Amino acid sequence: MKLPDFAYEAPATLAEAVGLLGEHQDEASVLAGGQSLIPLLALRLARPAVLVDINGLDELSGVSVTDGQVAVGAMTREYVAEESAAVAEHVPLLAAALPLIGHEAIRSRGTIGGSLAHADPAAELPAVARALDAEFVVRSQSGERVIPAAEWFAGYLATARRPDEILVEVRFPAAGPGTGASFEEVARRHGDFAMVGLAVSLTLAEGTVSDARLAFSGLADVPVRAEEAEALLLGQEPSQQLFEEAARRATAGVDPPADLHGSAEYRKKVAAALVRRGLRAAADSASQDSARQDSARQDSAHERQ
Amino acid sequence: MTQIAAERYTGASVKRSEDPRILAGAGRYIDDVKLPGMLHAAFVRSPLAHGRVLAVDASAARSLPGVVAVLTGTDLDAITVRGPDPLLAMMGAGASAPDYSLLATDAVRLVGDPVAVVVAESRYLAEDGCELVEVDYEDLPPVTSAVAALDPGSHPVFASLGSNVIGPRKRDEFGDVAGTFAAADRIAEFHIDVHRHQNVPMEGRGCVASYDPGSGVLTVHAATQSVHVTRMGIATCLGMEPGQVRVLAGDIGGSFGLKIGASREELAVAAASRALGRPVKWIEDRSENLTVSGQAREESFDVRAAVSDDGDLLGLDVSMVIDTGAYPVMGGMVPMIIEMMLPGPYKMAALGFESTAVTTNKASYIAYRGPWASETFVRERVLDLLARDLGLDPLEIRLRNVAPRTSPPAMMITGRPLTGVTTRESLERVAQIVDLPAFRRRQAQERARGRYLGIGLATFIEAAPGPRAPQGGGGLMGLESMRLRLSEDGILTLFTGQMPHGQSHQTTLAQIAADEFGVPFEQVRVVVGDSDVVPFGLTGGSRSATMTGGVTLHGARQLKAKVLDVAALLIEASARDLEITDGQVIVRGDPDSAIPVAEVARQAASGQLGVDPGLEVEASFDGGEGGWSGGSHCAIVEVDVETGIVTIERYVAAEDCGALINPAIVEGQIRGGIAQGIGAVLLERSAYDQDGNYQSATFMDYLLPTACEIPRIEIEHLETVPLDADVNFRGVGEGGMIVAPPTLVNAIEDALAPFGVRIYEQHLPPARILELIAKHAEGEGPAS
Amino acid sequence: MTDITVRVNGAARTASAEARKTLADFLRDDLDLTGTHVGCEHGVCGACTVIVDGRPVRSCLMLAVQAAGHEVTTIEGLAPDGGLGPLQEAMRDSHSFQCGFCTPGFVMQATAFLSAHPDAGEREIREALSGNICRCTGYQSIIDGVLLAAQRAKAGPGGDQ
Repeated sequence: MKLPDFAYEAPATLAEAVGLLGEHQDEASVLAGGQSLIPLLALRLARPAVLVDINGLDELSGVSVTDGQVAVGAMTREYVAEESAAVAEHVPLLAAALPLIGHEAIRSRGTIGGSLAHADPAAELPAVARALDAEFVVRSQSGERVIPAAEWFAGYLATARRPDEILVEVRFPAAGPGTGASFEEVARRHGDFAMVGLAVSLTLAEGTVSDARLAFSGLADVPVRAEEAEALLLGQEPSQQLFEEAARRATAGVDPPADLHGSAEYRKKVAAALVRRGLRAAADSASQDSARQDSARQDSAHERQ
Repeated sequence: MTQIAAERYTGASVKRSEDPRILAGAGRYIDDVKLPGMLHAAFVRSPLAHGRVLAVDASAARSLPGVVAVLTGTDLDAITVRGPDPLLAMMGAGASAPDYSLLATDAVRLVGDPVAVVVAESRYLAEDGCELVEVDYEDLPPVTSAVAALDPGSHPVFASLGSNVIGPRKRDEFGDVAGTFAAADRIAEFHIDVHRHQNVPMEGRGCVASYDPGSGVLTVHAATQSVHVTRMGIATCLGMEPGQVRVLAGDIGGSFGLKIGASREELAVAAASRALGRPVKWIEDRSENLTVSGQAREESFDVRAAVSDDGDLLGLDVSMVIDTGAYPVMGGMVPMIIEMMLPGPYKMAALGFESTAVTTNKASYIAYRGPWASETFVRERVLDLLARDLGLDPLEIRLRNVAPRTSPPAMMITGRPLTGVTTRESLERVAQIVDLPAFRRRQAQERARGRYLGIGLATFIEAAPGPRAPQGGGGLMGLESMRLRLSEDGILTLFTGQMPHGQSHQTTLAQIAADEFGVPFEQVRVVVGDSDVVPFGLTGGSRSATMTGGVTLHGARQLKAKVLDVAALLIEASARDLEITDGQVIVRGDPDSAIPVAEVARQAASGQLGVDPGLEVEASFDGGEGGWSGGSHCAIVEVDVETGIVTIERYVAAEDCGALINPAIVEGQIRGGIAQGIGAVLLERSAYDQDGNYQSATFMDYLLPTACEIPRIEIEHLETVPLDADVNFRGVGEGGMIVAPPTLVNAIEDALAPFGVRIYEQHLPPARILELIAKHAEGEGPAS
Repeated sequence: MTDITVRVNGAARTASAEARKTLADFLRDDLDLTGTHVGCEHGVCGACTVIVDGRPVRSCLMLAVQAAGHEVTTIEGLAPDGGLGPLQEAMRDSHSFQCGFCTPGFVMQATAFLSAHPDAGEREIREALSGNICRCTGYQSIIDGVLLAAQRAKAGPGGDQ
């Protein structure tokens, strides 16, 4: 399983990179972490004429927090994001999902942008991005566009990125106080792509749900937002009953794919179980965060006295 | 037993002599072999499961810079001799094989069937060349299941056979089958399926063939379980004198039955090297390994059991179908071993057995660790199903039916004596270790809380090598040979036809030789892997502990006697009064008399003593009294009934493999086999769609268990019943893989008992578990 | 074909290779460092694991050209003169391996993991090694080797052996 031939380019600047994509369009593939693309090349399922290696673009790496948003450079390695204090504090859902991505060696090279540009519907990061309404910043020779998550995921391994564009940054909203997150998944083995996964973010204010985000991986060609379940949860107190009804609503209309690892019926059942489990975990984590926030407020009030 | 002054190695977990190179990355595996001028091969393979080959155009490939040659099926057919698979030929069943060309010429019979070989400066370029070979195919209807193959209207995979039924065997009966069934209180009927899965060693197949036109010698570096079987296979196919073929093997990255003899690709590469007069390397990639190297275990069984109301299993009547895939290897021979082993260590009075083997457009059924394992799966599943129907505990039904150990020994109804079998002891011991009653209490408590725990037991015996057969011989290929030599540097060298691929023979055989001969472990060298130098042998069938351990023991004694006869001349003492301890020949009781064995060898070689200058013996061993290996395993599992995920909480094995040469190595073999059994049940399936497209062609789809799926495995070694005066080591390589699947399936069924689930299959991925629960909830009765 | 210079095991190594050549193949074929093994070529089995800039990496999922300017450590670089370092000794003492094909990948993965997580317990070690596949051992002996190495490292140079 040796890679087919291609012309190899390693641009030193972003300008060079978008120039190359502008020139080669869909004859070019962008090589980021390579953890998804190189297997496809080895299997000769991907046959780009030109490979544009953007690993030299240091400017595309890094995590920064501004104005309630966490900007993650597209070339930020998954392990760097996993170790990032900013991500842990401000995007707990992303922090919850990252350790589930493959194995450590994959996360050494895999990038946040690469995974999201590849858009495997079974992967964790697309569900996280969809749940949080992340924004995708792409650059081309004509300038920059910002694409919301709802429009980014276009189909199986397909995104709204045009052939002459590079994903440069992904922006996640910073979590407010009282937010808890969970990423639950059912995979055949530890580290495998999940058969079904669920990203959940819940915010509690005075004991009721003030914000609810649920997005599935593995149920369709793209991540699936469970908007009806989210609507049900708003304003309600967390309870087992509530979670069960949310699970019913979240899975009522889904038509999951069948493959070697699970039938459609199986995925639907598991999806419901994940909603129950994921909501419970996120609610617990949200309560803990509320308690932590209250305690911090009391501490600082004490200090002022 | 030999009394020696030195610390005894046998029975100790001596550190492996293989490890310094393995751990330093200095092992020499087939892909590490590099020869000057070496070329690389890749194969053009059929995308169809079944088709006629109308035309092959290699002109574009041949013109690609870096491509040195393309040999099509027709090109190779002209320079090779058609014949059966070498392993099949060695097992004596070659005559039944259909006629087919080495690579496909007129027909392709499975997805991945090789049609041409491209030889180039690098593997990268060879694969580029493969893409340029144009092949015209005509689709033929693929036969992708045994059911389809049994239909007389199905298109024959081999036109010359006229049918896809290749192995209808007459019915065999042992004991009074009709009478036993007529007199039974009840007859239970089951249909049990075992799914297709495969060896998947971490290193695939490969070889480097190097033909020297000057000498006419073909040297083949191989990854093989026997250099001699590979040599014979290559010589036969290439129409060469066996003496003109030399096979070398270094370190081998696992095999589990895959790498025996020579596959069609390896033979093609050997022929290509001869045609080109240059070394050619082929290393199978993972897609090839998963798709075409061979698969196993696809069998189905219709079972009738004659039972008493008290739980006596009086007899079985079994009809088996085995899907042997396309090109025949040894699948057709598996039913007869299954037939022989079905009664296991039980008292069963009657057995009826018939089998049918079919060809299909799928990968060949090849040997996979314990090829006959389904006999244990079927029997141990049936016992649990009967127990459940009769309200008996699984331990109880087994203890009730186990044959007692008597003298003379009880006989399996199929003819082998159950000499020294410790099944009762292993069942009782494993039940004691897990504390069965305490588990049942905990199980009930957890069920009340909505958690589903289960416990499963199973037991097996394995002919490793089996009790002494009346006509002598020790199983697969009979006698084991070894040459032992003491050289002038004092090194004791063992030349064996064993070909270790993880079994650590270079350590275990040295332990035995060191003990029996009287030298330190470090003074023994084990030579393997050169057909010009080692005697005939094959590593497989769990034979080496007894056969090779035994020939080492006896050969070392014979060589010691020879050395002492020579030493007696030097020391001027009677050989009877001499001993070898710690590498020194001494007169018993007189340590000052010591002379190093090296000195004895030098003196012999000098010619001045008038003795044979070489201190060497050729020993052979027929297995002695032989004996069974066996054991009982127990698994405790939890099933998440919302997701179907199975977690193994505890796994215990009480095993009896006779005397242990190296406990750590024995335990490693057992755990590895168990891991494969767990993989088979929970993760591994060689899946085809209805058009014969192979669906498990990468490691994303053929799932192997990882460190998170295999629990700690507790192993208890039972006290064995020694049968032979000297050689009581028995084979342990296959047992774990034989008994782990029923152990685990029994546990899963036990966990799902509240749902009324009955399991008649071996592959239980999460989706299937939910299906079984749902089916029973809907009251559909036994799962179909 | 381009000249590629990579620092491997502390030394600059140069060879000429195509851009499409993986780091695994480059190490094995062009630099004669055959200790790194190729088991699947699609990043699942871990046999090809090496350490790049301190991190475990699947060398079959990197192009050789991408390694230029980085520090690569292979199994040959762990101990001087092809000997055995402390982790390898602990694995030897634990009978960690059988056929040895998966071994270099496990050794490199465990080396990287233990240097970042010296206090890891069995569960974390199993997870950390779950991306390396062994077909021979059932993993227990490998885990035991890593645990023994961790224990010995904590005990220090004067500690129990």
